[in-house]
Amino acid sequence: MKLSAGDFLCLEGDFASSLYIVISGTLSGTGSAHTAATPRLFEPGDIIDVFSLLEHAPREYTLKAEEDCEIQVVEHEQLKAILDEKPSWLRSIIEFLIRRNHIGEENARKSNQVQALPSLLYLLSGILKEQGGNTAPMATVSARAARMNGTRPEECHKLFKVLQELGVLKIQENSLQVQSPELVHLLYETLRYRALEQKISPNILSMTDQMVLTVFIRLSQRSKDPLRNGLSAISTADLKKESKKSMHGMTLTTRTIGALVEKGILTPSTSLDFHQPLDQAEFFFGDFDRIMDLLELNRIFPLLDKKLVE
Amino acid sequence: MNGNSRQQVIPPTHSSVKAGFVVYSHDDQERKIIILDKGELAAVDNSLTPRKVHFTMQPGDLVGVAALLEREPFRYDLEATRDSEITVVGEDCMESELKSIPLWLLAVIRELSARNRQRKEALRRSRAANSLVSLSEFCRHLKKGEPYPLESLVQEFCWQTKACAPEVKEDLKALSRRKFVEIAGMDPVVTVTQPELLELFVDYLESEAQEKPWPPLQLTLNQKKALVRLSITESDLSQDPPAWLAFFQKNNIALTAADWIKMQGLGWFINSKGNLFAPDSKKIEYFLLALRYDINLRGVL
Repeated sequence: MKLSAGDFLCLEGDFASSLYIVISGTLSGTGSAHTAATPRLFEPGDIIDVFSLLEHAPREYTLKAEEDCEIQVVEHEQLKAILDEKPSWLRSIIEFLIRRNHIGEENARKSNQVQALPSLLYLLSGILKEQGGNTAPMATVSARAARMNGTRPEECHKLFKVLQELGVLKIQENSLQVQSPELVHLLYETLRYRALEQKISPNILSMTDQMVLTVFIRLSQRSKDPLRNGLSAISTADLKKESKKSMHGMTLTTRTIGALVEKGILTPSTSLDFHQPLDQAEFFFGDFDRIMDLLELNRIFPLLDKKLVE
Repeated sequence: MNGNSRQQVIPPTHSSVKAGFVVYSHDDQERKIIILDKGELAAVDNSLTPRKVHFTMQPGDLVGVAALLEREPFRYDLEATRDSEITVVGEDCMESELKSIPLWLLAVIRELSARNRQRKEALRRSRAANSLVSLSEFCRHLKKGEPYPLESLVQEFCWQTKACAPEVKEDLKALSRRKFVEIAGMDPVVTVTQPELLELFVDYLESEAQEKPWPPLQLTLNQKKALVRLSITESDLSQDPPAWLAFFQKNNIALTAADWIKMQGLGWFINSKGNLFAPDSKKIEYFLLALRYDINLRGVL
């Protein structure tokens, strides 16, 4: 087949069952999967649309002759005729390679998705700080993710949806409404800690810690007492009583609450002697918003990995 | 590309193996494709205790394609778990068969193989189009004035982007040369002094990559004077375009209607009400900073 400069050979998305081999000249290819700023060039010896030949897949590129070109077209019937006369294992090998390509493509998609999340959270957290509120323009987040990490808009959108399903944010028309900017930051920090320190982040709490904090939050919500230095204060007696009710009869001890005190999430009214009964402290103080964010993080984090690769 | 020459084809080997027979050992020098015709094979890792079975093969399954075509190591031992029949396609056999197929089909097989390899390689590389833009975008979100240990910062950035550490350190030096970040100390720490400069730098590099002129560096002398005047003007001063032109005239800045249209296009004014316009202080600060750090941005220190 001969093409003159400027002629179009095919359009992206056209269904076909043939491939092209460039014999002479240069073709330029543009398509949605090709994200580079300049078109991809195909030169003599290059083959185009292998999967159209093998599986009748749509054309990957819109192809235009940049100069006079000669193209060889190989039709599916030619492939079939060759494979019919060859030993069956050759067909098996080609089928294996096709399968492996699809698996590889899917794995790459998932891997890129997983890899893009930390930078997206990092940028979202930064943009929320810049803007000083709970809302970030979606286009700004996507543009910065593209610059920093080469993340594609559709990958960003998929991640926004994952975060929406987890309750971290709401996708509005052009913006992202975040439940709590601190939660976005916590989520990023927890991922960073896991990846770089190879340990579970201190933000990830045991079931007991989470139950104690849930009790603390419940009592804070009911409390009519004013905040003390911006912190909720709950009496030890109330904590013990409510814990017994909520934690299936479990008695709250100094040891039980110790981990939360050591992590600085709850602060006793007097310094705790871990060998003495819990009543040594009259009150426990805690930052209501911080505790809510931590509980939310602990709800979300175990679901995150699964959601990302769904 | 139409070659279909007939040559001597070396046939594959067919064998029957007993249960327990090692068909393929991971340290075999000879590369081959094993096709299971009958029975069952298992890929096992005998270096582990207890040994681990990675997968089992059923009739029709094959292994060793990547080892033969892409020179990838085969990591397991392949054992018959039942009496089985196999076909072994060795290097000579494969080579002779590939020589007998048309060149276009050979190219198809190579393309399929190459795509896999390239995809794997791409997963190990950064996807960012420009490493300096990528790093600047990262650094602009760091806390202003806070010292970050260099090694940890590079590690964090590499984790996010898969960039390679030596390249990141070179890019950090490039930012430091432009005075956008400071690197200091025996155990070096990185400090971002003005994150806004990194924002400008990212925009500047993006324009450069797209071969578009960057507006802050395209201003005429009078437009620059107007910008400086606007920076010291009350941001709640709202007036119509003729009044603004008169305002500049009074301040010895001769602007034309074309200048006004350009300034509006650059976003220096916000349409406050009807035909009234007020200066956009954020935009003006952005352009002013670009003028002030023009040399740093262009890297011609």
